[in-house]
Amino acid sequence: MLYDLFALFFGVFVTVFIYSFLWKENPLSRAVEHLFVGWAAVYTLATMYDAALSQAIWGAERIEGGNYIWIIPILISFMYFFFFSKKYFYLYRYPVSIVVGIMAGMMICGMIQSNILAQIQSTARDLPLVGAGVWDYVGGSTFIQGVNSLIFVVASITALTFFFFTWEHKGVLGISTKIGRYVLMATFGAAYGSTVMARISLFIGRLRFLYETTYTDEAGWLVNAWYIIPIAVICVIIMALWMRSRPEEKPAEPAPKPEKPKSKG
Amino acid sequence: MSIGSISKIDRRYLYILLFIAVSIPLLSPLKLPIPIGEHAKRVYDLTESLTAGDIVIESFDFGPSTRPENYPQAKGHLFHARELGLKVVALAFWPSGAPIGEEALREVYGADFEHSSEYGQTVVYLGYVPGNEVGMQTFGDDTSTAKGTDHWGTSLTDLPLMRDECRSAEDFDLWAEWASGTPGEQQVIQFVQGRHGGPSAVPIVVGATAVSVSGMMNFYTSGQIYGILNGLAGAGEYEFMLNIGYGYPYEQGPSLDAQSLGHVLILAFIVLGNIGYLLTRSKGGKS
Repeated sequence: MLYDLFALFFGVFVTVFIYSFLWKENPLSRAVEHLFVGWAAVYTLATMYDAALSQAIWGAERIEGGNYIWIIPILISFMYFFFFSKKYFYLYRYPVSIVVGIMAGMMICGMIQSNILAQIQSTARDLPLVGAGVWDYVGGSTFIQGVNSLIFVVASITALTFFFFTWEHKGVLGISTKIGRYVLMATFGAAYGSTVMARISLFIGRLRFLYETTYTDEAGWLVNAWYIIPIAVICVIIMALWMRSRPEEKPAEPAPKPEKPKSKG
Repeated sequence: MSIGSISKIDRRYLYILLFIAVSIPLLSPLKLPIPIGEHAKRVYDLTESLTAGDIVIESFDFGPSTRPENYPQAKGHLFHARELGLKVVALAFWPSGAPIGEEALREVYGADFEHSSEYGQTVVYLGYVPGNEVGMQTFGDDTSTAKGTDHWGTSLTDLPLMRDECRSAEDFDLWAEWASGTPGEQQVIQFVQGRHGGPSAVPIVVGATAVSVSGMMNFYTSGQIYGILNGLAGAGEYEFMLNIGYGYPYEQGPSLDAQSLGHVLILAFIVLGNIGYLLTRSKGGKS
């Protein structure tokens, strides 16, 4: 139970500290940022280590069950540690090349099938410009299919011509690239709108944590998360006053350029 | 202060205004109407079309940083699957997704679900499956090769659902991908769906962060993704449909109100900023 109370305090403090970055970068926001990165790294390492053990060792079809082929990937993975040896550094390249080779092989097959062939097939299939009912207005949320198709065709071609640099963008090509630029801007605008929506969603998530999270112990003692906000804000204010009282730091001098290595020849 | 100086206003005032605009509906919900989008409706309808006993893969491929968007989507879908009597195999290809998946399952199936009688029969949690894309492909080819044990170390041969029914992608009836990066929906399309019969054999629904939805629309129009829950709004829409159909608590209402008010404010900022910019430029000032 005490753990829950600590988690509540900690959650409120780190939330307020990280948002204090919006006022100005300060030691509290930086500390929380480093904490997050450090913990994420350690957690990921521990989880992957645990998963690798359960993957290779524990289970009926693993080393535990007499399937010793799983020793090979373990040995190969240990070859990564030759990165720290000058003499045997070349052995480090073997696991790297195995991973790169497998990934390249997998990605080429997967990408061609799913991202190229399936996309071309769908574009050709779903863009009818002629045919029965294509230009009929159905009403409601269903738009004229032909208009949609036409916009899609024009947008695809003009956007592609924007990246066509063999000839100067003049005449018909100039008009096409101009339309293509607007298409790209509309695409980036849509992506920007989605980004704003996503960021506000995350902000809402933190605010709901601050406003709605509560802790109740066995004696009925209630602590709302928002009770703790003023304490965290006072910490930020003290930090701000401390930063103001300090003399301004001079910008760091640029590091000296490294000397050029002397050529042997 | 002239209107031209609006474009030079300190951004910190805008942060305060945004904080106020988002806080008001959270403290006092406005109960704005929720239009159900086509993308979310397709996720709901496809799940509804499954019959009891069908196998659903619930893949928790996100971390704490996108939890406000992905978690309510996944939790709602788990609830839906349970109500329909679907068999759920949950897992995570992200290390940080493993504890979040466990938490969602505990909320839907009960705090001690791994010791319940239905565990191993109708629900299994594999936890983190290592290997990223390779792990996904292996899981699609042969589930027991991808990971030999569940999240708590029980061998898959001791879990009837994994031993007898869920052996490879041929047995999957739906893949629900809760994603916020790589590996995510694109890798499922490439390494599971693409290798095992295409969209008709392994239909995929995605719960995505809003920032990534525009990038996956081409997979939606091509049919490789059947339906999408678009960020927090998608989660809210799904919860709303579940609320009507099954009485599921509609918790995202205040969040969607806050989202709407925040967007209105940002639109106002953009309009005012542009007016200020145009006025400054018309007076020959620096843009």
